[in-house]
Order: sequence, then structure tokens, then C-alpha cells
Amino acid sequence: MLSFLIRRIAAAVPLLFGISVLVFLLMAIAPGDFLDVARTQQDIPEEYIERMEEEFALDQPWYARYASWLGNVVQGNFGESWIYRIPVADLLKQRIPATLVLSALSILFALCIAIPLGVLAAIFKDSIFDRLSSMFAYAALSIPEFFLALLAVMFAANTGLFPVGGLTSMDHEFMPFWSRMVDYAHHLVLPTLVLGMGSVASYMRIMRANFLDYIRADFVTTARAKGVGEGRVMFVHVLRNAINPLVSASGFILASLLSGSILVENVMNYPGLGQLIFEALMRQDEFVVVAAVLMGCIMLMLGNLIADLLLAWFDPRIRLDKN
Amino acid sequence: MLPFFSSTSLTCLVRQVLGAVLVLILVTVCGCQEETWSIQRSRHDLPRDAEVSESRPGHYGGVFVTAESQQPRTFHPLVAEDAYSSQVISLFLNGLTTYHPHKEKVVPELARSWDISADQRTITMYLRRGVRWSDGEPFTADDVIFTFEALFDERYPNRYQGQYTIAGQPIEFAKVDRYTVRFSTAKPYSPFLYVIGFIGILPRHILEKACESGELLQKWSVRTAMHHPEQLVGTGPFRIRSFKPGQRAILEPNPHYWRVDSKGQRLPYVNYLVNRYVQDRNTETVLFASGQIDVASIDPGDVVGVRENEKLHGYKVHHRGPASGISFIWFNQKPGTNDQGQPYVQPHKLKWFTSQEFRQALLYGFNREGLIQSVYFGRAELLHSIISPANQRWYNPDVPKYPYDPARARQVLQEQGFRLSPDGKLYDKSGNRVEFEVYASEGSSTTPQILSTFRENMKALGIKVEIRYLDFGTLVARISRHFEYEAAAMGFTGGVDPSGGRSIYLSSGRLHVWNPGQEEPQTGWEARVDELIRSSEETFDLDERVEYMHRMQQIFSEQLPLLYLLTPHAYAGVKTKWRNVQIPPMGSVIWNIDELYLDPES
Repeated sequence: MLSFLIRRIAAAVPLLFGISVLVFLLMAIAPGDFLDVARTQQDIPEEYIERMEEEFALDQPWYARYASWLGNVVQGNFGESWIYRIPVADLLKQRIPATLVLSALSILFALCIAIPLGVLAAIFKDSIFDRLSSMFAYAALSIPEFFLALLAVMFAANTGLFPVGGLTSMDHEFMPFWSRMVDYAHHLVLPTLVLGMGSVASYMRIMRANFLDYIRADFVTTARAKGVGEGRVMFVHVLRNAINPLVSASGFILASLLSGSILVENVMNYPGLGQLIFEALMRQDEFVVVAAVLMGCIMLMLGNLIADLLLAWFDPRIRLDKN
Repeated sequence: MLPFFSSTSLTCLVRQVLGAVLVLILVTVCGCQEETWSIQRSRHDLPRDAEVSESRPGHYGGVFVTAESQQPRTFHPLVAEDAYSSQVISLFLNGLTTYHPHKEKVVPELARSWDISADQRTITMYLRRGVRWSDGEPFTADDVIFTFEALFDERYPNRYQGQYTIAGQPIEFAKVDRYTVRFSTAKPYSPFLYVIGFIGILPRHILEKACESGELLQKWSVRTAMHHPEQLVGTGPFRIRSFKPGQRAILEPNPHYWRVDSKGQRLPYVNYLVNRYVQDRNTETVLFASGQIDVASIDPGDVVGVRENEKLHGYKVHHRGPASGISFIWFNQKPGTNDQGQPYVQPHKLKWFTSQEFRQALLYGFNREGLIQSVYFGRAELLHSIISPANQRWYNPDVPKYPYDPARARQVLQEQGFRLSPDGKLYDKSGNRVEFEVYASEGSSTTPQILSTFRENMKALGIKVEIRYLDFGTLVARISRHFEYEAAAMGFTGGVDPSGGRSIYLSSGRLHVWNPGQEEPQTGWEARVDELIRSSEETFDLDERVEYMHRMQQIFSEQLPLLYLLTPHAYAGVKTKWRNVQIPPMGSVIWNIDELYLDPES
């Protein structure tokens, strides 16, 4: 187990290294730089811009900037955001909780809806329910998240049932504790639905397909022949086997939720990482961009690692240590 | 059927969910009531030199909500370089002077008055006595000296260093006594009183340690505002109560603010000022039109739609007149060659671009009047000068104008030796086809419409124009560093005092876009403009300064290095329940936020 973990983490290092080089290179090739906005402001003196170019090492080639960045990273310093003038780590730390809550809730939401729906669709294969749920799945998969987010914003604005974006109400800090929790919940409903909807559909299809595979398996027939009750056959024997691919799929979901959340957060005005990364990209705030990309990669690898571990735990046939 | 998915339990579940949603709604509705926004105002003695507001006295209370499409990146005036950070900083810090948008002149802020010496190089500022910082510490000349020492400290580069360097010399400053500071400049510099107000005076007792240890610029970041807003100590009308990035800042009245009304009530009247951070201008407009915020700037295209809800949500959309910015198309007139020995502009094209008559002919041939109707539905006007008509004090209404007159355009081109071929193509004396590319930045909704009209109008003159849209960064790189372009379209936001436009007007300026950064003025008229600016900055007589600036505008409109486009009209919406609202032609709509109060009837 431990050697497996060490191997996976060791394999990640060169990957992250390569990605960081690529990000710096791409940022250097991209036209313009962080100071463009200052350059077109008439009342910012030229000396100041030159001074800033020097300070941000923008007058040097990208590999020189990369080298000094790498030197700092080795010492645990991810640099300072040029926009905010605070350490990148601090900046990301402000925003991570909001995004993690949203991601976790949408995964949870997706699983809670998708597993029962998938199972039901498999059990009642070809029924009206199965057809309807397939239709829903295809529709949900084909609607891009940002569009769904726009629809949700419109829904909220027209009905007034939900807040139009944000994470808290204006008077949030004046509320007692429980009202504040309710306020969070109220604001989280729509973003969770929007972000989770796509995963519901894909989880459901995976669940249905696997469930159908196992319904016809020999051990199911055996169990039935032995007189095990139908509910037990379905929910103990079949479900436990059918759920494995879902676990490995959720490793990728963690990363895809993060990328999906960039768009959704921007449309729904949700104060998470998405907004920050988007702004950093637009302004070419180099260290924030590279840190954000690296974090996305780490999330992806971590997600996969967790999925593998869970799989091993669920499925006694899988042994991590034997290669 | 399966036991735990029976229909009864399902209905039960649905009922529970619906119930929960209802509770949520009820809680939020109750939460929106005004009582949550009450405030305890502590009573402190008024400063000896408190300023008495000239506006009508009002009543305490109310929450004023604004939406900002960008959020502050810092709360430190020496770090801030964008308008959004400066805007929030100006709510809790004061300068020595400030610009009064209605009186159109510099008025006292932390300085109660000033003297200008006979040689006009020494300005003595008398500070308001008895003013206290928001934490109760007294404000004195030491704070002013501290601020300027930090500003000129080599360790802390900032935009003000250049602004406060006059004729190559940093301004000098010295404390005379507890409430008097003396400034001197190397040469008489009349915008001094205006620019000296830009920097918010910093509290020495809070920042001195950080300044000594070289960490001044790390202070007062967004982190400070999030976790320790009480450390953001200022003299302004408000102090930061809380700041949530991506969401909002809530400001509360500074209990030590130095302005009072004629009844002796300390300003500001509002209990809280909330800045909500939204994604873009459109969201701001939507929030305003649905009654959720108290003030918004409205684009000319949205005016009709927003006005539909005026009665329903109790607001009014006010017409502010022409916007303060200027927009234009210009030609690259940079002579010489780049590093590879290639000319920046092909020589035969440079000949056209540097011809005043060629530029004038093109502007005559451009149907800007038509654009006002088709793009802005009449809510715009022609721009004739390098200073927008919004800037009433400095704008010269009598500059040469170039109304749409295609016949005149053809005539001028013909006089300059351009020939129209039988198939309608224009050639210059040497037989080169007249054609050029215009670069513009992506993202604006009106630029493509304006430029398409330009292209069609030019086609009618026989000129082939290609329009290319570039990413903003690429455009800036091309026009300011590589000079690899023929023509470009852009705009600048307008400032109040023309000294803010030096980098455009002066031939050595960075934004003298058609030929920036000249070591010596390369044409006679550019030399004349440089001279006019120098003269205008050396005289403290306002009428004389205005006269110089009128002459400068005259030269620019004659020479036409910039083909002026249009200036759309500006609109601002404010809820009608607010009193003392005085919308100036340019600048912030709520510049007098400390004087706004809630109509007791509402």
C-alpha cells in the first residue's frame, strides 16, 4: 500500500514539472503581458511602468523567470500575485473552501440522484421510466454547463425563489448562526444543481449499463436459485459489483468539476477559485495562473489516487501492491 | 416493487423537501428586513476645523448599495493602480485637496487652506486642526510628512513618484508646525493643487513600523481587509466593516469624520454603504433595473429598457450629457526602422499618414452623423476635440470641425494629387493604391459598427480599408512597443485637469500614440503644443491656463493626428428615495455620498 502511494507521488513530480514549463512557455507566447492595462492609462508615468517591468522580470526571457520561480517553489514559496500583491498561496486559500464545498456538494448530489435512477432504469429496463431517464440523461449531457448556469440565473431572477448568484446575502454578517447556514444553503442550491447535472447524467448511464451487465451474471442466477430475496439480490449482490466503475469515474469527476466550475462560477457570480483563475488568465497574472493550473493537475491526480484506493477497498480482487 | 421506494415514502419525501424550501424562503424574506441594518453611532467631539457641508441637512439611516464590476485589488494607495481600488480607498482615506465636480475647481480636504508664495514655487498647506483618525488618534502634519516620505522612498516604487516629480525634481516638503506643511517645486507648477490631492494621507501611527522594516507595500492588502478591517485606519467618511472578495465590501460611518451638516450632525447619514461585486457592467444594469442597487451608470443602448421600470422600483435615469472619454482612429506616423531594418510604416504610406490634408479628407468622408442615429439612436454626439465636451471648464467649443462632406473629401484628396481610377479606386501621385489596415481591440459592442461604417465610407472615396480585431494585449504591444501597424482605433477615459493627459499631448509622451516618445518634437505643431502645455503648467491663473488649453485643442483639431469618433451620452440611474443627489457631468455619480440621506417619506 505504502509503496504504491510513494510510486504514484514520485510519478507526479516530473509531470508537474513539465506542466509548469508549458504554462510559462504558453504565457510568454501569448501576446501582451500583465502591464498592458497600466500602459494604456494616461496618468501612469513611464518610469513606474519600467520599474514594474524590472520588478516582475518581464524584461527577461521566460526561462529566466521560470528558473527563479522554480527556485522559490522548492523553498515552498509560490510567488506573489501581481494583481493583488499578496502571496499566491494566500490568494488561493481564500477561495478554495467555496469551490471545494460546491464541488463536494455537486458530487454528492450527482451520486445521490444518479445511483438510484441508474438502478431503477436498469431494473425497469425499457419501461417508460427508463426511456424518460435516458432522455433526461442525453439532454443533460448535451447542454453545456455555462448555458445551464445562464438558465438557472434566469430562473432565479424571474421567480425570485433563489438568489441571483453569490454565496451569501448582503446582510449575511448581521444574521445569527443558523440563519447564516440557511443562507449558505439557499445560495448553494442552484450552483450545485447546475454543476452536478452533467455528472448525474453520466453517472446514471454508467450505473445503468453496469447494473444490466451484472443482472445477467451467473452469480445472480445462483443467488436467485438459492432463494435469496429479490431486494437482497439487487442491492447487495448486483449493486456492490456494479458500483466499481463509478468509483473510478469519480476520480476524473473531481478534476472536471473544477474546470466546469470556472465557467459556472463566473456566470453565477460565485466567489470561488473560478473567478480568480479567470481574472488571472485575462490579466496574465503569471504566478497565479501557473499555481492554479498546477492545483488543477494535483486535484486530478489526487482524485484518481483516491479512486484507486477506494476501489481496492471496495473490491477485494484488486491488490495495489502486486504490480 | 421495492420496499424503500414505495410511492408513499416518495410523496413524504417530496413534501419534506418542499417544506424545507418554504422555510428557506421565509427565512430569507425575513432576513431582508431593515432592522438587521441598524447601527450604534458613537458620539465624539467635532474637530475644531470641521467642515460644514453646504447641502441641505438630512436624517441618519438607510443602506446605500452599489454594484462594482471590478473589485479592489488592494487597499493601499501606493499599490493601487486601477480605478476600482482607488475608488474604495477614497472612501476611507482623504487627500490634502480634492476636486469639486460641480464647482469645477480644487477644494480643501485635509488641508483647510493654502498660501502660494510670490514666486509660486512654495505652497504652504494649513491642515484641519482637531481631525482624528478613525481609531481616535489625532491627525497632524507628521502623518502628511510620513506619507510623502514613504511615497518617495526608493524601496516602494509607486505611480505617484513620477507624478510628483516636477521638472526632474521631486517636490520638497517640510513640516512647519503641528498643523502646517510646506511644499516646494523646482518650477511653478499650477496643477500642483490638483495632483497633490491624489494621494490618500496615511496614518503614521499604524504604518510607521512597516515602513521602516521595508514591508510597507505588503500592508493593507485584500488580506488585511478580509481579516483585520479595523487596521485600515483613515480619515474618510467611511471605514471598512468587512470585505469578502468576489462578494461585497460593507462600509460603516467613520465616527471621527470631519464633515458636519449645518445642524451639527456628523456626516455621513447612511448607516452602511455596501459595494457588491458583480461580473460585468450588464449585471450591474440588471441589478439596478430590478431595484436591487441604488445607483448605476447606464449605457445609452440600455436607457429605454431601464426606464421602463422607473415607477415600479422607484428610480430615475438621469441624462449626464456627453461622456468624458474620447475615442479615435489614428495613423502610425512613426518614422525610422525596427531592429531588423524594416520601416515601421511603408514609406509611401507614411507620406499619406503624415499629411494633414489626407487625414482631414478622411474625416470629412466619414459619416459619423449617420452613426449617431444607427448605433446610438441619437444618444451621442460628434467629437471635435481632444478634450471631451463633458469637461466643460477646459473644452474648446470653437475648434475646427469636420462634418460629413464626401464631396469636400474628394476635392481635398484631388488637390493633394490623389487620383481616382475609372473603376473607383484611389491612387496616390506615385501610382500606389490607397489602402490600409485598422487594428481594433475585441470586446466592444459598438466598435465593429463604427469601423464597418468607416470602411464603407472609405470605400466610397476609393480607399480600401481592412479591419482586424486583436486581443487587447496584442494591440497594446503593437502600438506601444513594436509600432507594427498602419492605423488603429482606441479610446481613453477622460480626466478632469488636462495635466492628466500629458502623456498623450506631449511629443515625448508614452501615449502620444501616432509617434510616441519623441526626443525632440519632430514637427512644428508638436513643438507648439509642448510649449503651450509648459506655459499652462507654469501659470496659476485659471483663465490663462484654460486659454492655453483652448489653443492646444485648436492645434490638435487642425492637425488631426487623431480622427475623432463620437462621444456617447452618459446616463446614470439613482433611486428617488435619496436626497441631496447632485449628478455632475463627469466623475462619480455619488461623489457626495457623505451628504446623501433617505427621504423620510419613503
